[in-house]
Amino acid sequence: MKHRKNTYRILLLLVFIGVNILILFGIGQLFSYLNTGADRTSILHVTSPDAKVYLPKVIWENTNNPGRPIEKQSLASIQSDYLKAWYVKNIAYKNNAPYGIDDYYTQHARINILNHISDQKEKEITIESTTLNHNLSLDFYSLDGQLAILTDNNSRQYQRIFKQDSLLLETQTIASYKVVLLLEDGFWKIRHIVKQSNEPLVETTKPTPISSVKNGQVFFENTPFQIKGINYYPQATPWDMFGDHFNTTIIAKDFDIIKKAHLNSIRIFVDYDDFGKAEVIPEKLNKLEQVLDLARVKDLKVIVTLFDFYGNYDVLDWTLTHRHAEQLISRFKNHKAVLAWDIKNEPDLDFKTRNKTNVLAWLKEMATQIKTYDPNHLVTIGWSNTKVAHLLQKNVDVVSFHYYEDIDKFEKKYTDLQSKTSKPLVLQEFGLSSNKGLWNPFGPSEKTQAEYYTTFKEMLDQQNVHYLPWTLYDFTQIPTSVVGKLPWRKHKQKHFGFIDANGSSKKAFQFFEE
Amino acid sequence: MKLNNQHNSLFISLCLICLSCYSYAFAQQAITAKLTTTQTVFEASEHITLEFELNAPITVNLVCHSAYGTTIINPDYELSDASFSLPEKISTKKGVLDFQLISEGVTLYQGNITITANTKNTHKLESYIGPPSISAGTHDYTMLVVVPTDGYDNPIANNTPISIKHQFLDDQKEASIKTTDLIAWKTIHSDTKSGRILVSSTLNDVSSKEFSIEVFPAQPTNFTIDYQRKHIYADGNQITTFTTSVIKDTYGNTISDGTLVNFIIKNKNNSLLQTQGMSINGVATALMLHPDHASTWRVTAQINGMATSNTITINYKAVTEKLPVRFSNANRKIKIGPLQSFMEQLIPDGTIVKLTITKNEQILETKLKTTANGMVSFDLEKGFYPPSTYSFIIEALGLTSIHSNIKL
Repeated sequence: MKHRKNTYRILLLLVFIGVNILILFGIGQLFSYLNTGADRTSILHVTSPDAKVYLPKVIWENTNNPGRPIEKQSLASIQSDYLKAWYVKNIAYKNNAPYGIDDYYTQHARINILNHISDQKEKEITIESTTLNHNLSLDFYSLDGQLAILTDNNSRQYQRIFKQDSLLLETQTIASYKVVLLLEDGFWKIRHIVKQSNEPLVETTKPTPISSVKNGQVFFENTPFQIKGINYYPQATPWDMFGDHFNTTIIAKDFDIIKKAHLNSIRIFVDYDDFGKAEVIPEKLNKLEQVLDLARVKDLKVIVTLFDFYGNYDVLDWTLTHRHAEQLISRFKNHKAVLAWDIKNEPDLDFKTRNKTNVLAWLKEMATQIKTYDPNHLVTIGWSNTKVAHLLQKNVDVVSFHYYEDIDKFEKKYTDLQSKTSKPLVLQEFGLSSNKGLWNPFGPSEKTQAEYYTTFKEMLDQQNVHYLPWTLYDFTQIPTSVVGKLPWRKHKQKHFGFIDANGSSKKAFQFFEE
Repeated sequence: MKLNNQHNSLFISLCLICLSCYSYAFAQQAITAKLTTTQTVFEASEHITLEFELNAPITVNLVCHSAYGTTIINPDYELSDASFSLPEKISTKKGVLDFQLISEGVTLYQGNITITANTKNTHKLESYIGPPSISAGTHDYTMLVVVPTDGYDNPIANNTPISIKHQFLDDQKEASIKTTDLIAWKTIHSDTKSGRILVSSTLNDVSSKEFSIEVFPAQPTNFTIDYQRKHIYADGNQITTFTTSVIKDTYGNTISDGTLVNFIIKNKNNSLLQTQGMSINGVATALMLHPDHASTWRVTAQINGMATSNTITINYKAVTEKLPVRFSNANRKIKIGPLQSFMEQLIPDGTIVKLTITKNEQILETKLKTTANGMVSFDLEKGFYPPSTYSFIIEALGLTSIHSNIKL
């Protein structure tokens, strides 16, 4: 009896405590819910810095004008408002809505845009477009600083015209404009924009190629160059080479290992976000320069893969990526360690999610952009397989592809690809993960990996293939962004190296022996 | 939509006919297009039709790139000779018009035509003038910018003469300016005289509005000052008025109304007093209350940073020599007065009388009072001033009366 009473007591007590916990939890949840929403500081409407949304290349060719000399600040605001006029117009024709047009076109001028919008709506047409450059000269600036006339010479514009959401035309035009701008309500608004005939393009300075391709052969500083390289990340910081743990001593040691293994090239990766997107962080550039300088000292050539983890190929985002490329590439255009700029790693994997046309158009334009900022080095794209590698071959100097498929089919696929292009082929990634273990009990062992490389080496030597296996090291940590969260995938990615986690050479290392 | 479907089916059937009639080679033949319209320059408002000749009947569209945007135009008829009438919204906009003849995403023909501004219909002269006011003298100028447009809001052709007229006083000038870079502009310099310039522009029969530019006088030059007062006495009641001569600029124009003139007065003690006045018709007037004791003022006027005047000296005479003081109520009541002015009239109410009480050469209190009917009285309460010996200094109208060792 007494025993039962105690049980009841304990039960009652537990129920009481439980109910209390539940009530407190509920109040907590309600409280945190009520605290979500806009940040309190947003009440203050503190002016936010000018968002960088549209950055086509702007060059002021001439600002001398008969009206009056222009101040730097006015010139900057004319430029900014003129670009925004293009930006809001691009958005207006994409969405068929005149958002922001009032701010950048005067009352009379905006009628023309509204006409276009209503015409497009009627015909169910939408246009995605972006201008890529503006070569401006100031023809006139009025004495009271309220009126300006610009010439925009040979402005390149990329357009994609859709009818009922299906692509009607993809086109690039070059056009020149005369523009009358009025300062109204603090905005430089377009009053007139008149299209003119283009001035003939002036040929810019001749390139002094460091790396080049002649008759299907890769040359580096005028001597034939056979790429025998390796994909490289420092062992402790894979996919984060230029982060807080950047250490040139480690990289220098690794370069020595690579050099001793009779290799002559490496492939490294530049993360678009990590390097600061449209405004490249100088500190990161310095780190990249240190790596390139080090490679120069150790006599290694570098294939730099850009735009790693970039995934937005939207036309309105183009100019931002162009500025990223400009800042990065023009800095190293004369660097004697750079072998090639690899625009993007495996962009074909984005075909499904980001639309093939989008991706290809972006790559094509990016190749042009890179060539304008650096005509001295090779340009390539790191396609993920042999099937797609021939795409855009006209726009690259060397065709790069990755091969993780059946080793027996390699020769056939390689010959197939060779028949589709006359450009040199680079086997930019291949390899086998020795991931036999808990997650993959029947997977390849280190021995299998070594055999794989031995077989591959024979084929590669026979055909004189340019190659870079994946990768130097086994890694202990793989970021989720690389292969996802699944542990067996991460596990696989950890064991592609020639050197294991403890720093000792795996059996496959003999691949490098001459 | 319906039209399009018909079009498509027509296209398919035509293709089938082609295939059956001709060899396989024909189907492989590249489709080419030729522009048959030869005119390349059109005037805005002119009806523009672009005709193409195709070597095979296929569905084509015309993509037109104008300065404001891109338009897709469907053919007028469903014929192999594709003919496109440009909509009015495009055919009336000045500038180069690039076009592409496309079929299924492939460009068959590319070209451009030029549309020029309309020369016949009414023009509009959009004019901007600035700055709206300038100063006299020949160095300052303003600018008139005319953006002439045709009836379709197109800037008119380069090298069109615009007549710009401006009038100033007896002078009326006309100049012919040619348009360049979509506009015509002219600088208008001021003359040595101040006044108002009227400007207008004319193109053919169309005239702009009238614009006016205010020409303000240039910088003022040095000037002289004078003063007027009702009497010479320092009664602290009357007002002395300072006036400037008519202030002129470098070119003899009377300076703008409202120019601020500062009058700086230095008195006997080298203290500075200041008063100001705004100019009307070139003359600035400022006022100052007479001092309440004899003094000599040296007065200079300035227009800050630009011009200054001569210095004048003004003497003020004391109104009286007498400061009657009476002690009563066992010296606890001090009566001062009657204070009399220069004609023995009572001094105006409000004259300040200062009483300083000291004991053993230490100041205990300073009392200030103003006169009423020429009189002031001070009461010294027992509570504050216990019986002892005090000294009193009484000051008024620049006079001082000292009473030492008074027993309370």
